Amino acid sequence: MMAGTPIRNIPVAARDTPTSIYIAPSLTAALDALNDCGAAGSPLAGGTWIMRSPIRHEPLRPHYVAIGRIAELTAIRIGSDAVEIGAAVTHAALAAALADLPEFAGLAAAAGRSANPAIRAMATIGGNLAASDFAAADCVPALLCLDAEVEISGRDGCERISLAHFLEVRSTLASGRLLTRIIVARAERRTAHIRLPLRRSGDYPVAIVSLSVRVDAANRINVARIAVGSVESSARRWPRLEAALLGRPLDAAEAARIAAELSDEFTGRDSVDAPAWYRVSVLPGLVRRAAIAALGS
Amino acid sequence: MGFNLTVNGDRLSSAADPATPLVDVLREEMHLTGAKPVCREGFCGACMVLVDGEPMPSCLLPTALANGREIETVEGLAPHGQLNRIQAALEAGDAVQCGMCFPGMVVSLTHLLTTRPDATRDDIRAALTGNICRCTGYERIVEATLLALATR
Ligand code: FES
Ligand code: FES
Repeated sequence: MMAGTPIRNIPVAARDTPTSIYIAPSLTAALDALNDCGAAGSPLAGGTWIMRSPIRHEPLRPHYVAIGRIAELTAIRIGSDAVEIGAAVTHAALAAALADLPEFAGLAAAAGRSANPAIRAMATIGGNLAASDFAAADCVPALLCLDAEVEISGRDGCERISLAHFLEVRSTLASGRLLTRIIVARAERRTAHIRLPLRRSGDYPVAIVSLSVRVDAANRINVARIAVGSVESSARRWPRLEAALLGRPLDAAEAARIAAELSDEFTGRDSVDAPAWYRVSVLPGLVRRAAIAALGS
Repeated sequence: MGFNLTVNGDRLSSAADPATPLVDVLREEMHLTGAKPVCREGFCGACMVLVDGEPMPSCLLPTALANGREIETVEGLAPHGQLNRIQAALEAGDAVQCGMCFPGMVVSLTHLLTTRPDATRDDIRAALTGNICRCTGYERIVEATLLALATR
């Protein structure tokens, strides 16, 4: 999202607010510390978003609780019923863990092609979902079209909510509460994740289309999930396109034609790297590519 | 509270603010100016160092999270002035222009050479997606890397 932003190089001396970073050895310790810090504290996972706060002209918080070394938050459980992803799992680790699971091809592509290799080894899935000002997060649309749920923990216990609901409440989450796990039910489906960066790779994408479909024996779509990222300020599903595809064969040209008819429901966001209209105008092409990728998966 | 880092084999300490990016500690306190803070966003790779053997943009690593870890900067990759394989290949291939990106390139490519001895041209390009060069067009860098891989 900050690609193309005028660079402001900020040396050590300009960072005048002393900041504490507590490296939590366990989830209990992290939740205690977050609770004690209240609104002055925040979790710190990979750091790739928070460390850029000065460039966004945002002050750092007085206190951070580093969660990247908590074993249960860095684990991925691949069960026969669900995949559970710890919030501090990195993009690189998630892409590697899902490499042999075709039903997660879309999520693996989202985690494995975002940003660049060094960032993927640092940036976490929890951070990607929790950074509410980051419109171009790859894993958000990829997980939205998998009907993902998230677990939010606090000292008093944990609750499970849909990712879509989490996106609505994430910026107002009570202090002391932490996104701890992402849960995706296993299902037979074809998935794809198509992103359009300005360069071939390395940049934030101008627009993202994630797709998950199930087809019946006659090759007709009976479940469709499509999510769009980076076009608006937060990723969201595209229910009208999903409904329009139901009962039809999975056909890339047809999907793109319908997407072109329905894409006026998006109001793109303007930024220095891409104007609003452009983000919306590329959606039919991305839908076509997503359908082709899903057909091949 | 201070931090202890092992930098190019030397045990060093820092009293920096915990959120200070490692690149600033390396440059301002340890006077290792190879890593450069250019974008401070994780895009350009000019600040790349190895942390416990893995390439990491040091502009995004708070010093508190570098505590106790092994850091290698470009200065540590040519011990006793002896260029390593990729440095020698880049020099032989006349790949360097202004040189601004090269400390980071060398760090990323040193890691590639040690971890992916069978890397292809595409693998090299993929490994360099986080290292931006404004001068060379990358082709000579890729050629030099293929040469370094071939002269194992
Ligand atoms: S300065 Fe760190 S990646 Fe550009
Ligand atoms: S040689 Fe000038 S930026 Fe790469």
